Amino acid sequence: MQPENFYYDNKIVRNFGIATVIWGIIGMTVGLIVAIQLYHPAANMGNQYTTYGRIRPLHTNAVIFAFVGNAIFMGVYYSLQRLLKARMFSDVLSQIHFWGWQLIILSAVITLPLGFTTSHEYAELEWPIDIAITVIWVVFGWNMFGTIFKRRERHLYVAIWFYIATFVTIAVLHIVNSFELPVSSFKSYMVYAGVQDALVQWWYGHNAVAFFLTTPYLGMMYYFLPKMANRPIYSYKLSILHFWALIFIYIWAGPHHLLYTTLPGWAQSLGVAFSIMLIAPSWGGMINGLLTLRGAWDKVRDDVILKFMVVGLTAYGMATFEGPMLSLKQVNSIAHFSDWIIAHVHVGALGWNGFLTFAILYWLIPRIYKTELFSKKMASFHFWIGTLGILFYAIPMYWAGFTQSLMLKEFTPEGMLKYPNFLESTLQILPMHMMRSAGGAMYLLGVIVMAYNLTRTALQGKLVANEAAQAMPLAPAYTIVKENKWHRRLERKPIQMLIAALLVILVGTFIELMPTLTISSNIPTIVAVKPYTPLELQGRDLYIREGCVNCHSQTVRPFRSETERYGEYSKAGEFVYDHPFLWGSKRTGPDLAREGQKYGNAWHYNHLMDPRLMSPGSIMPEYSWLITQTLDTSLTRRKINAMRALGVPYAPGYENEANADLNKQAKEIAANLNVDHIKVNSNKEIIAIIAYIQRLGTDVKANKTANK
Amino acid sequence: MPETETLVKTSCYHCGDECLTTAYQMDQKQFCCQGCQRVYSILSGAGLCSYYNYNDHPGTTRTRTDKRFDYLSDPAILAELLDYTDERLSIITLYIPQIHCSSCLWLLEQLNRFNPAIHYSRVDFLKKQLVVRYDPRAVSLQQLVELLNDIGYEPQISLQDVIKKQNKAGKDNLVQRIAVAGFCFGNVMLLSFPEYFGLSGYERAFSHFFGYLNILFSLPVVFFSGREYFVSAWHNLKNKILNIDFPLALGIAVLFIRTVAEILTHSGAGFADTLCGLVFFLLIGKFVQRKTYYHISFERDYRSFFPVAVQVILDGKEKPLPLSDLVTGHRMVIRHNEIIPADAILLKGQALIDFSFVTGEAVPVNKTLGEIIYAGGRQTGEAIEMEVIKPVSQSYLTQLWNNEAFTRKQDNRIKTFNERVSKYFTIVLISIAVGTLLAWLPFSFRLGINAFTAVLIVACPCALALSTPFTMSAALSIFDRNLFYLKNTAVVEQMARINTLVMDKTGTITTGSSKRIELGGKLTGEQRQLIYSACVNSIHPLSRMICQYFGDLEKLPVLNYKEVAGKGITANINGHQLRIGSGDLIFGYFTETKLMTRVYLMIDGVYLGYFGFYHEYREGMKQIAELAPAYPLYLLSGDRDHERSELIRYFHDDRHLCFEQSPQQKLNYIETLQQQGRQVMMLGDGLNDSGALKQSDLGIAVTDNVNNFSPGSDAILDGRSFHKLPAFLRFSKDTVRIIHLSFVISLTYNLVGLSYAVTGNLSPLVAAVLMPLSTVTIISFTTLATHFAAKRRKLI
Amino acid sequence: MSIIYFLIGCSVLLALIFLGAFFWAQRSGQNDDLYTPAMRILVDDEKPAEDKK
Repeated sequence: MQPENFYYDNKIVRNFGIATVIWGIIGMTVGLIVAIQLYHPAANMGNQYTTYGRIRPLHTNAVIFAFVGNAIFMGVYYSLQRLLKARMFSDVLSQIHFWGWQLIILSAVITLPLGFTTSHEYAELEWPIDIAITVIWVVFGWNMFGTIFKRRERHLYVAIWFYIATFVTIAVLHIVNSFELPVSSFKSYMVYAGVQDALVQWWYGHNAVAFFLTTPYLGMMYYFLPKMANRPIYSYKLSILHFWALIFIYIWAGPHHLLYTTLPGWAQSLGVAFSIMLIAPSWGGMINGLLTLRGAWDKVRDDVILKFMVVGLTAYGMATFEGPMLSLKQVNSIAHFSDWIIAHVHVGALGWNGFLTFAILYWLIPRIYKTELFSKKMASFHFWIGTLGILFYAIPMYWAGFTQSLMLKEFTPEGMLKYPNFLESTLQILPMHMMRSAGGAMYLLGVIVMAYNLTRTALQGKLVANEAAQAMPLAPAYTIVKENKWHRRLERKPIQMLIAALLVILVGTFIELMPTLTISSNIPTIVAVKPYTPLELQGRDLYIREGCVNCHSQTVRPFRSETERYGEYSKAGEFVYDHPFLWGSKRTGPDLAREGQKYGNAWHYNHLMDPRLMSPGSIMPEYSWLITQTLDTSLTRRKINAMRALGVPYAPGYENEANADLNKQAKEIAANLNVDHIKVNSNKEIIAIIAYIQRLGTDVKANKTANK
Repeated sequence: MPETETLVKTSCYHCGDECLTTAYQMDQKQFCCQGCQRVYSILSGAGLCSYYNYNDHPGTTRTRTDKRFDYLSDPAILAELLDYTDERLSIITLYIPQIHCSSCLWLLEQLNRFNPAIHYSRVDFLKKQLVVRYDPRAVSLQQLVELLNDIGYEPQISLQDVIKKQNKAGKDNLVQRIAVAGFCFGNVMLLSFPEYFGLSGYERAFSHFFGYLNILFSLPVVFFSGREYFVSAWHNLKNKILNIDFPLALGIAVLFIRTVAEILTHSGAGFADTLCGLVFFLLIGKFVQRKTYYHISFERDYRSFFPVAVQVILDGKEKPLPLSDLVTGHRMVIRHNEIIPADAILLKGQALIDFSFVTGEAVPVNKTLGEIIYAGGRQTGEAIEMEVIKPVSQSYLTQLWNNEAFTRKQDNRIKTFNERVSKYFTIVLISIAVGTLLAWLPFSFRLGINAFTAVLIVACPCALALSTPFTMSAALSIFDRNLFYLKNTAVVEQMARINTLVMDKTGTITTGSSKRIELGGKLTGEQRQLIYSACVNSIHPLSRMICQYFGDLEKLPVLNYKEVAGKGITANINGHQLRIGSGDLIFGYFTETKLMTRVYLMIDGVYLGYFGFYHEYREGMKQIAELAPAYPLYLLSGDRDHERSELIRYFHDDRHLCFEQSPQQKLNYIETLQQQGRQVMMLGDGLNDSGALKQSDLGIAVTDNVNNFSPGSDAILDGRSFHKLPAFLRFSKDTVRIIHLSFVISLTYNLVGLSYAVTGNLSPLVAAVLMPLSTVTIISFTTLATHFAAKRRKLI
Repeated sequence: MSIIYFLIGCSVLLALIFLGAFFWAQRSGQNDDLYTPAMRILVDDEKPAEDKK
């Protein structure tokens, strides 16, 4: 039997590498801009397309799906080929995958600033892009499994298991979380409403973190770390064990994002329980990684790549320990909605994902270009500035988180809120936010230096687009049976994978049926809660477009400090018509669940015109364009129909009167504003958004007064 | 000597050993020996020099042997060795002790580069095994093995390759069963928590849904994962044995039935999570208990180190013959480093036999023509011819294996504590259960059943069943860390019972080549030659060592050579009068020197100095001696008694020292000790101890390299840890004590549970808490306690 | 909250897929040798020099 000669595809790896660096810089720059806007609102350049609410999602999407995403594919395409001793299944698929993915990101870069968003965190992209993502993801999977089938190495190294898990899980999560009913080419409503929507979103949201930011990177860690240190992983057994443990526990940790919300208590506790269990497998990975370097610390001292890995792993350890802690109710009551979470996330993102990515780039680029790294000095500069950056980022944010939530919870001896005005707490933490952006800037600087360093490296070398390799073809497996007789058995894998595929299809059909099932939900309804009026509905969509939810939550937790500040705590029944839910996950500004009728329309008008007019020092941007822009009512009819389809009880045929009602209500508001000498045309967007804000939480209040 | 300083030490490019000569060079690379150079040239020839990139000096030194692999062409032997073969493909698994680094891995998986007929070669690093697939039409097994031998990876081939057997065995699906149990356990927990966290009224629908799912999940746990408990319980019942599996099976069954009943009747949430947890933990216990040493075998007997075949001369031609066909009268040819497989008479050639395998004595012994040489010796030097006088199976050594000690099954030793307790436990448990049932029945049937089942559930001896495996596996890994490898967990309890130690001498309490020789005084070249010429005639081990010390000098003709047993040699050479030997031979009086035997040298009445021979006993002999009287020490040695004077210091009682013991005598001696009701631990190393090892209550083979041959035994002790023996003995006692304690703990848990159960209202929550809680307590207690004990005995 | 049924369904199905995968791995001997693969990835399968001639 002759060994087979074949070639590794380095070009695709290189391409993903370049994409990683470019998108990384873009995504982090956007991050820096939004960070600055948090103490200097004018940094949006008075432009709606660069305003916080719209580009904060751009930042998250860019760094998660563009930077990390491309890095994952870079790592997978490099390691997979070598672990399986085979070229990728199809160059065409690789190309489609690469360009498709970049196109998706590009479309995100365009649509998000334009305000096309589902407002589901980390899943903001609208339905056409969701479909595109699904397609490209399938292409990726096809390419990966294809390679696995034609592999020349029988054993699947643990890294590959992590890759497979990533693929399968993300596929399911993405589909489940993307059930939208399209209204127009770039507008859709989530199929589930309120609490259910929230549960789905965080079931997705958490697992997105788990299976997009964690498992693929663990996989890459298991391949690249041993290669970098040229010593086998500390315990291969442990790595296998912790893979399976991780897979089976992760899925159910989601609900801890919804503690103290109207999600059923037992579901919340469930989330907590499973989150706690997660410590074990997560740390299994970290310990395994760090112990691999035991006895090689001298290597670490003079190899900057290993330095990156060590800090990355440590960050992973910290984040995965902090996570379960944060899911403890007591801790969560302080940390949730605060900057603490931002710090937590960024320790993981900057430390674990960022540093591992950099290490892999520094290790991989010189190899595929058959040259040395252009400048080790620059690399170690990158390491130090990056590490400092993380510290300057995280520490102030933790500080800010504590300070703010403690201030918001503080009572005077007389039992009054010490800081009744939310703004006081905001102003208190501005310095921390400034420091944070400095930290971010340092980190970004490091990345730019890396980009230069890698470019020079590439220029001084020559890309080995196709790397020659040789391996024996895979011989069929032999296994021994009891009576010690031998019998040939072809590989079981294809059959197994068929079963797996079948199950996936099952999930699919299951999903088809599901929406109809979910619409009729057994949530205790509140009689007083009525569907939104057409104008309010439009206003709500504007609220979504402007991404208000990025700073303003809409759910009051059952704490005295919150009921005092905002009003009665939220009930599940209030949200039954909320497609999608808008609870939010961060309170940069006060909660709005009970905002309705607190202030007059005029107040809101002026506040949106110039927040600092009503509340001096506010960091909320000005929404002047809401006044100039005319409300697009052409979709009202379809929106009503869509909502009815999703189970919102609009009377049949109501879609025909909807716009009439809309104009009527708009005129009333305009007239009311006129009383305060505010001249505004009733067809302007601001009218709609005021209408929506004034409606928030009023049903329940009305209920109360009625009952009196 | 300044010039020696200037001499730069060059280390062999292949194996890293120091190069004593510059004779072996190739592409500006130094090699220590021709073997290493050969390997290098082969590798560079095949363009496989990146072998040297992964590690520097990845090779192992090549002892130059002219091993013959002709026998590998014998079809009968082939059939024995090959894992699989058809006309186009053969598969063989080879044991290659030399495998030690990533270079080995790389090279051995590149065999195809040497010969394209080798399709595929794959290393299992821990087992030091190589699986090769090749095309028998294009390359023979012999060629394959020769190739491996040439590149420095000589496989150890023997018909009774136990290691191979070991790895093929134990292919059960325990892991799968654990996986299923774990998987279901996780999901059932997920589905049971809501019940505990409390579902509000309008969410009742869920609890039913969850309930049904729970049933679904517990099905595979009971019928796939838990099956074996029912099976074994049933078996034991049939054999009228009540072992721990019975209450376990009972518990599982009751849990399942009651769960199903409660859920289907909506009368409760059931115990699905307890059930799954129970099975899961039990299986984990099973898992940790099985410890596999990949490279060690406890089952070795003579066949596993005797050659597969031997060269015999049949009608004037040499041909390989399988040992089984070797019969009396065959004339066999034994080459350098080959082992004599059967008792035979030396017919031709200079026999210098190394019996280290048999006795542990490293110094080779001279044999003269016509002498009977027992099987097991290894010829060093030129090829010799000998006539077989006994077939392999009847030879002096191997007949041991006909002794009943070998046919006797090993398991019928004292029952483990666990087994003994569980019997009574079961009886008590059942009676309590029935008792409660009867107590309640008059009042309410339903409550009665509840109480009855509840008792069986909470009293299910999960923790009880786990305490032994977890303690033992913890203990085993402690021993393991100290280079003491136990066959299985039962050995620990066995060791705790030991109250008598019996030791072999050479190779056991002395290291294989432990005699250090040193020359006191100065000798001229001529004197050296004279002494050499005298000693070379003697077969006394000391003389042999003196000769080795001098190396190959020219032998001079010797006149009236006289050897006085136990005294020394007198001889006339070139008119010089030599006296070599003990004090009273030279000076007329005996000089007692501790720790050292001296051979004095005198030429022409001039005292020139002496050769000192140090007996090095393994370090720690002292501590072991201090074990007495708690552990009386005995010595069973095959050698003559010239070390008695020193050994007495350790063994105190002269009657405890037995010399010139034949393997059979050793075995018998152990037997007599046992008849005096002693629990005997035997420490031995050579084949001649294997009878004793087998007979003893606990046989420990002492070896300096676990990969080398060691006779069948219950445990293998690396010589380096010999001094820890006392600690081991004490630790084993601690371990047993820990087990007893953990039994008490788990019983307390059972009692607590019972107090709930008998009242008839056992809530799922209590069970669900109690079961894992007790399990976790036991696991952590045993692990921690063992760890602590090990610390106290300074084993970690 | 009927969404719970759905999510549980999805999770369990996912888990089942992985369980199946695990069984395949176990049966096809993927986990027989859990030491050597870790070392094997360290050695590259570069094309031997003489082939380049």
